[in-house]
Amino acid sequence: MATQAEQGPTHPIKEPGELSERIRSLRSFYFDGTRRDWNNEFTCWTTGTPWDLLYDETTYHIVPETYAFFPPFRASTLQAARTVGLPGDFWSQSLVERRAWFIRQVMVNEVPREVLPGDLLAGARFNILASRCLDKREARQRERKVNGRHGATQAVKWFHDHGYGNAGATSGHLIPDHRRALEIGWKGIHADLEDKYGELSDRDRKGRKGAQLKAMMIAAEMPRDLAREYARLCRELAGGEEDSGRAGELNTMADNLERVPWEPSQTFWEAIQALWINHMLVMSDENYPGPGVSFGRLDQILLPLWEASLGQGMDREFGKEILRCFWIHANTAYDAMIQLGGNQGITAGFGQLISLSGMGPDGQDMTNDLTYALLEVIDEMSPILEPKPNVRLHENSPEELLDKIVEMVATSQGAPFLLNFDERSMAGLLRQARKAGVQRLIHPGNVHDYASVGCLENTMVGNDRSGTVDLNLNLLKAVELALTGGWDLLPFTDPITGKQDPMRRDGAGTGDATQFKDWSQFWEAFATQMRGIVGRSVELYELSEAARAEYCPTPYLSCLVGGCAEQALDVTQGGAELSFVTIEGVTFATAVDSLLAIQSMVFEDHKCTMAELIQALKDNWEGHEVLQAWAQNRVPKYGRDDDRADRMARDVMDLWTEETWKHRTRSTNRRFRPGMLSWNYWVSDGYVMAASADGRPKGQFLSNAICPSNGADIHGPTANANSVGKSLGGLVEGGGDWGDRNNSLPSGASHTITFNPSLLKDPEHREMFKAFLRGYCRNGGTALQINMLDVEMLKDAQRHPQQYRHLLVRVTGYNAYFSSIGRELQDEIIARESHRQM
Amino acid sequence: MENTEDHQGTEATALVLNIQRMSTEDGPGIRTTVFLKGCSLACDWCHNPESIDSRAQIVWHGVNCIGCKTCVGVCPFAAVSVDDKGLTVDRDLCSVCGSCAEECPTMARELVGKRWRLSELVDEVAKDRAYFERSGGGITVSGGEPIVQSAFAAALLEQCRAAGLHTVLDTCGMGSEKRLLAVSEHADIVLYDLKLADSEAHQRHTGQDNGRIMLNLLALRDQMRRSGTARELWIRTPLIPGVTATEDNIRRLGEFIASNLGDSLSRWELCAFNNLCGDKYDRLGLEWTYGGRDLMTRRRLARLGGVAKAAGVDGGRIYVTGASRLEK
Repeated sequence: MATQAEQGPTHPIKEPGELSERIRSLRSFYFDGTRRDWNNEFTCWTTGTPWDLLYDETTYHIVPETYAFFPPFRASTLQAARTVGLPGDFWSQSLVERRAWFIRQVMVNEVPREVLPGDLLAGARFNILASRCLDKREARQRERKVNGRHGATQAVKWFHDHGYGNAGATSGHLIPDHRRALEIGWKGIHADLEDKYGELSDRDRKGRKGAQLKAMMIAAEMPRDLAREYARLCRELAGGEEDSGRAGELNTMADNLERVPWEPSQTFWEAIQALWINHMLVMSDENYPGPGVSFGRLDQILLPLWEASLGQGMDREFGKEILRCFWIHANTAYDAMIQLGGNQGITAGFGQLISLSGMGPDGQDMTNDLTYALLEVIDEMSPILEPKPNVRLHENSPEELLDKIVEMVATSQGAPFLLNFDERSMAGLLRQARKAGVQRLIHPGNVHDYASVGCLENTMVGNDRSGTVDLNLNLLKAVELALTGGWDLLPFTDPITGKQDPMRRDGAGTGDATQFKDWSQFWEAFATQMRGIVGRSVELYELSEAARAEYCPTPYLSCLVGGCAEQALDVTQGGAELSFVTIEGVTFATAVDSLLAIQSMVFEDHKCTMAELIQALKDNWEGHEVLQAWAQNRVPKYGRDDDRADRMARDVMDLWTEETWKHRTRSTNRRFRPGMLSWNYWVSDGYVMAASADGRPKGQFLSNAICPSNGADIHGPTANANSVGKSLGGLVEGGGDWGDRNNSLPSGASHTITFNPSLLKDPEHREMFKAFLRGYCRNGGTALQINMLDVEMLKDAQRHPQQYRHLLVRVTGYNAYFSSIGRELQDEIIARESHRQM
Repeated sequence: MENTEDHQGTEATALVLNIQRMSTEDGPGIRTTVFLKGCSLACDWCHNPESIDSRAQIVWHGVNCIGCKTCVGVCPFAAVSVDDKGLTVDRDLCSVCGSCAEECPTMARELVGKRWRLSELVDEVAKDRAYFERSGGGITVSGGEPIVQSAFAAALLEQCRAAGLHTVLDTCGMGSEKRLLAVSEHADIVLYDLKLADSEAHQRHTGQDNGRIMLNLLALRDQMRRSGTARELWIRTPLIPGVTATEDNIRRLGEFIASNLGDSLSRWELCAFNNLCGDKYDRLGLEWTYGGRDLMTRRRLARLGGVAKAAGVDGGRIYVTGASRLEK
């Protein structure tokens, strides 16, 4: 999911560069939002049964802000729904066939179709909420499993209220096999399904497997049928078009749509048209607009057709114009809830991610002309966000690419992309292969073809669903439970009903921490609690996973994920060849720093007793300010390249990741794997979780993903990056997971560093910044979001100096921590920065 | 004065003011700059006043203070008191024992100057090797004045270089020639400060005349020419309004550089004055004469660059750096 939404202050919005009239009008049409004649807001479709269900709340179980709205969302989507006429044998079909038919019917015959003025691609409305097609018995059973007293919704609410985190089987977050779909077309996919169906025994054909394959065949015809309708519309528009140039474009679009995506794509234009329809129908199939439905290595997949079309005379600029139209289309995903959100997500990201550049099979660089064309389009279209780019760097990345990246960073106030680092990322995926015994599918010969989904979650491509945002666990909870011997530190009071949950021991009985004689006893208690919360989170996840597997098939998506056809198993049932669920560890640095504080204050320096510390946390540090200050300022912290603190980080990392590998889902046999991504939980759960021993009061932000705690990284970017690399396992001469790199987190680790703009002020400094990125490649983590210090951040730092102790300002080689200089000089620096940004 | 170089057991140690990671202004590439404490000059504009004294000092960061009065209680000499205006230290009573800094929960009381062992410091610097190697960076030993702790500074540069790191010495040139050359021998680049051409003015503003500094520069030039390896000499001149930033001074320095250094000079950096360090003086309980001065205008900086060139120094080697005044 998105990382950019919560990255703090807003910037003056960058205006795009020189765009063509076509793109300017498409872009302003898009930004007209609700003033448009039509938009891509959800349309709702029902079978007409009184028990029908459109809104699947389990896919939002990872969004705690929405819990209170599930009942009204369900009711209102049903109210708004139009009834679709059903064929006579509808209810005698299997659920997966019913659903495949229903989605195809809605997309091909019910949803209106439009082509925008000047647009070079067809495929407009795709956000639908369609009937789950459950019969009465299925609906009743699902309701009990999801919303019953012991159902998934109640369970996740409890889990969140008590500070553990959240979990839910979530849509999106994978990379369909676009390469295959472009190369053999849906015709080829359909033929393959027919073959597989033909290979089934008579018994299997009548059973679950036969139903699944038949449903997938229905779904595989949907893109052909929809494209045919759009082709008809383009011809019609061409007929009425006065501008002969535009009429020509519309006729070519119709030609394209009469062939693709059913036939293999033969030109670049066809390929982008096919890619768009194939992609948008995934969102239709899942009834979920965008999040994490990613594209993979577009600059590699599309390169042969890019080159072929250029060779046949396509103007490079026209090729980019097709891509710009693609960008506009991707952004219409935001229309889903256009009446609710005002700005079409300019500051948010749905995470339709593309991966660019990166390594080839022999460690060579794969940057090509299309990589640069895509980067140019991103630069020109900025600040439109979708699809989000993730640029892959490695030790052999070319200077030219780094120059382009640094130029883009320098001209927008933060990077309009994420950076992914190949060596460390691939180390994590090879570890995953070893841990899970899937070396046949991930090995040194193919691991370079990995790509990221959502933001930076690393997966393989086309045969991998790794549930990269499905389980978000607050590691800090294990520290809290170790302090109390398994109890919540504070009772939970429901903010709406005012009712207090009775206190009971939910965690393991690790004993009275005030009686612990040494650190090792505390660590043992913590380790026991950590194993406990990982186990508890896995049990919670099982509830929604099992419900989805039984009631929410996605047969269209299953056609695009390797393993589903072979096993005749839906992707929601674990059909992907690589079928994992990722536990995203949240509050890592807060947990590590809290452990360091307990170790140092209670067992080494004897600044307080365990009982005093626990009381201080119960009192939210009120009346214990001196102790709090000590915890904040005087104990070692992760993020400073301090080997002692980083060893603690490493120990915590080892503990929770090793525990994660031990678990599988029962309903779908998916293995759990670790990653670190915190979406916005590190902000919102700061109000849920009790005060922590690192000096943080309840109500203050937790740490974000693998980043050091706010303000803790007082030794600058290199020290920060080194700590992150060490926590992942660092470098091991002649024995890492990939070369000398280790990586405990196959899904990757979100890392944000804020830089001072003066680092990009002249060519000499830009070279240093490039060198930093190359150094990060060796010493740092898997992914980096670059932020640039800005005026709003400086103003915030004036208000909250404690949060910004690390904020270094540089003028003339003179460095000072912003929070340590006087108000007048702070104002001077703010004035200077405002000046620069004008 | 306490000898700042000390030998605990067999290993050399030094009093270190600060270690600046990812420094981008002290020589080429990404560097770790080690600021050694103690200076042989006492420039009245100094931007790091806490670097001058060779002994450890205690500073107070008022913005961090929560008024817990821990320092008052732990001071064995009753040197610290707190009233409505904040914290006062009787510097006559204070022995800089460091008790208050050790116990201060917010680090508002800070002991400036930490003793580092040579091997630890080399390890600390080497942590950023990956960034050095990719940027042409490395270690810069600065101060204070490194040759105040010359044996340590020489050993530090020598060991870093032996570990394959690029080495830079940042010096004001004041000290014995023998000590300077013993340190500079291990530096790939020497950053050498020339402040004032007029010796009497130099005496007035820095506490020492410039005779020794000029002679040492020539000795350094000769050492570099003799060594035969690719080493660089960068001259740095701080532009202090009304003091060093006069056309006369820049012309005279330029003439000296042009006639004595020739091709031995790789760069001459004219570094614009900035006023960010005023707070540092407050923290040390000192007055700063230059607190009220504005930053220089862009035009003025360009003009001084022109004067430097006119004095005969190769224009391609002159760099004017630093912030200018905000202008409409």
